[in-house]
Amino acid sequence: MTPKKINNCALVLIVLIAFGVPLVVRSATYLHILILLYMYAYLTTSWNLVGGFAGVLPLGHAAFVGIGAYTSTILSLQYGVSPWLGMIIGGLLAAIVGVIIGKPTFKMRGAYFALATIAFGEGIRVLIENIDYLGPLNFNGPRGLQIPPLDTGLSRFMFEAKEPYYYIILVMLVAVLALTYFISRSKLGFYLNAGGEEPEAAMALGVNVARAKLIAMAMSCFLTALAGTFWAQLTLYIHPKSIISLDLSFEIAFIALIGGRGSIAGPVLGALLLRPVSDFSRIYFGDTVPGLHLIIFGVVLIVVMIYQPRGLQEPLTRAYNRLIHRFFGPQGSGRAA
Amino acid sequence: MIFVLEDTINGILMGSIYGLTALGLTIIFGVLKVINFAHGSMLMVGMYVAYWAVALTGLHPYMALFVVVPVMFFFGYYVQDLIIKPIFKAEKEVREPITVIIVTTGIWYILDNLTLLLFGPDYRILQDNPLRGKMLEAGQMLISVPKLWGFCAAVVTAASVYVFFQKTRMGRAIRATSLDREAASLMGINQYKVYNIAFGIGTASAGIAAITLVPFFNVYPTVGVLFDIKGFIIVVLGGLGSIWGAIVGGIIIGLIESVAPQFMTATWTEAIVYGLFLLVLFVKPSGLFGVKYDW
Repeated sequence: MTPKKINNCALVLIVLIAFGVPLVVRSATYLHILILLYMYAYLTTSWNLVGGFAGVLPLGHAAFVGIGAYTSTILSLQYGVSPWLGMIIGGLLAAIVGVIIGKPTFKMRGAYFALATIAFGEGIRVLIENIDYLGPLNFNGPRGLQIPPLDTGLSRFMFEAKEPYYYIILVMLVAVLALTYFISRSKLGFYLNAGGEEPEAAMALGVNVARAKLIAMAMSCFLTALAGTFWAQLTLYIHPKSIISLDLSFEIAFIALIGGRGSIAGPVLGALLLRPVSDFSRIYFGDTVPGLHLIIFGVVLIVVMIYQPRGLQEPLTRAYNRLIHRFFGPQGSGRAA
Repeated sequence: MIFVLEDTINGILMGSIYGLTALGLTIIFGVLKVINFAHGSMLMVGMYVAYWAVALTGLHPYMALFVVVPVMFFFGYYVQDLIIKPIFKAEKEVREPITVIIVTTGIWYILDNLTLLLFGPDYRILQDNPLRGKMLEAGQMLISVPKLWGFCAAVVTAASVYVFFQKTRMGRAIRATSLDREAASLMGINQYKVYNIAFGIGTASAGIAAITLVPFFNVYPTVGVLFDIKGFIIVVLGGLGSIWGAIVGGIIIGLIESVAPQFMTATWTEAIVYGLFLLVLFVKPSGLFGVKYDW
């Protein structure tokens, strides 16, 4: 077998296993943990389009989650629009906002960009907390919006069981990973890479770095907002402090950096490693050692940044290749996806 | 009218304390070109050190200065030496390494949650300290005495840091490194030692801010976050790397927070502050006193 074939087989196998999980795991709690894991992997992969490929550090992506959640929820609560349609509208809105914010901020250097995105995210949260009514739209200020679980079903994006949510987010994750794969192999991906590492050199070669970054930003914001709608429909309650929180923006960046930003597998690896730590330490140590998972996050982050600045995907890919090499002979050692 | 004047004065006083909390941020950025996201947590650590120093010994709150400043200096010195330096060495050629920013976030998470672990989520305040709730009456106005001392501390600290940077040999070495670290290294300056000391000074100034806050402010594990975001806004407003810019930026924020509620709902002031911040970033990223080439 050629290395490419082995990798493809492994990928298909992983996806099949992921789709089969709800047949085995019946506990709603564990399914919920997995749903959150996929959602964070999805969010981080979307973030990675800007934070990884474009080489900047956006720390305000929770704002786009909020834009998505609020758009679809307000439309469905007050106008009866299906959340699926609201999801797309929210995504488009987030993409427009992302471009408006990205245009001036992409000119800034590292630290300033990070600060500007933080201020943007916090600013959006403060605005929503302060607005009860914007024209005919009811934001309900700091109290948030509740979605009454009246009519369930696919068209209303609301289910009694966890399984449908599981499949929806899994499909979303696979789709966004495929999209990232194609982008990284496309002209846009190369432009972004060049612009992230050596912007002056890339511009000298005639690459429109600013345009490439804006396109990446628009896509990233669009995709992030979709997860916002998903989150709102999963929890049926949105609240500015929890959905547009700085902690969420930071957690996305943490997962990407620990997993390996700028790679396709990195965000998924990061979520696979960090989400269980977060969930299980909250379940088992939540009352005795509050904040334990955040201490672990911090320590892991510092250790990874010192010893593996490109994230954990690098040593893991190497280990995977060595494994393939051992089992399938020398011709099997290739690049992992 | 008298109320507006009273609010203005209290805004300037509280604002200068904000400026003092942000002073270390601007010093560290000026030299290392790194935003220290853990600065608010450093302030929080300083507040806990000051709190326990006073609560256990019964000293006057301001006498804690002699404990807090050295403790915080060495705390900052070794955080930089043990955690941040290795990353700097790994990413030598990058001028503003993003990984360092994210590592300071890691330090922030560790410090806040370790404190939560050790001291619990309780709000602590120094009971019956001589400064608590003390007011100065000037005509019809009431001016808080601990905030007045905070204002003095802010001006004195900023002035002494400024003099230290301008007049001493170490200060010159720090300024040289902040301008061009390769050239400074070639002149025989130990770049990493300069970083350690700059980080120590920045953290020690957070310690001074902590002492001025402790007599009238609650101490709790996430108190730093409050000053963290505010600190970012202040230093960008004043110009990243500028010492006096931090104090002036702090006073501007303090004034907005104390005067604006006269004209609108208090919660909207926060939105105004963020709006102003984004406006400054877009229009004049170098801030009021910043150097042009530094953004």
